[in-house]
Amino acid sequence: MDIKKELSENQTILLIMDSAEYNQDIVSFVKKLNGKNIAYVTLNKTKDSLVELFKKNKIKIENIVFVDAISKTLKSVPDQSEGVYYVSSPGALTELSLVISKFIRHDFDYLIFDSLTNLLVYESKAPVGKFVSALVNKIKESKTKAVFYALSVKEQEALIKESGMFVDKVIDLDK
Amino acid sequence: MVKTVMVVDDEPDIRATVKAVLEKNKYKVVTAVNADDCLKKIKGGEKPDLILMDIMMPGTPVREVIPKLGKVKIAYLSVVRTSEAEKEDLMKNKNIVDFIQKPFDIDELLKRVKKLVG
Repeated sequence: MDIKKELSENQTILLIMDSAEYNQDIVSFVKKLNGKNIAYVTLNKTKDSLVELFKKNKIKIENIVFVDAISKTLKSVPDQSEGVYYVSSPGALTELSLVISKFIRHDFDYLIFDSLTNLLVYESKAPVGKFVSALVNKIKESKTKAVFYALSVKEQEALIKESGMFVDKVIDLDK
Repeated sequence: MVKTVMVVDDEPDIRATVKAVLEKNKYKVVTAVNADDCLKKIKGGEKPDLILMDIMMPGTPVREVIPKLGKVKIAYLSVVRTSEAEKEDLMKNKNIVDFIQKPFDIDELLKRVKKLVG
């Protein structure tokens, strides 16, 4: 699957991944989009661990700005520092929405949302569905192209299905 | 003497599985659904030899509760990926004796529990 090509044809994509391939997939997609301005929203890894992972895979991170919803739960960090905005937790949907909106307003080339699956750990399906719908609508008013990751998890089929209705294309990497 | 392990995790499946395996291996197991519940149980008189604690759960952040738990040994369970430096930092707290990445192999978890509390 050529993520760049898919994003040239669709503004918003939901990518459903297998958990076994997940770490390889996220590296490969960022590699393909590298060089463009990317806002990377992480809900399951700290920004530092992503930087470690990307550098190990020779991905330049100068054009990537992170929205990290993990680090604040583990350690003391400021609201923002170079190349990163810290959000209280993956369940802080309003805060998350405000920070992501900033990036969308600045017309970043790509927004990577990693991942919808993690939102459901902290919030129930209804507010998460509302959050995704509002976020996709904001993206549609901008030039930013967005890819939402989701793990293929049986318990979360309903949210994946609902989110699939909001985006332009759903790609299941297992199929 | 029977050792007590407290399993603190917001995922019911994890609590149930780890509890079943540890009990089968002659440990007494107490469970808690988040850090607040863990603290409540410790204050209520529970004295576990080891706490297996998910690092990220709804409710009060784990890092705020750890200092209130006294001298009990704690092993983090983490689905969250951290950098090596962050992991080292998290382990600096004297109470933290291990960092177990999820998903874990249940036999490996048991081996580590045995090593930590006997």
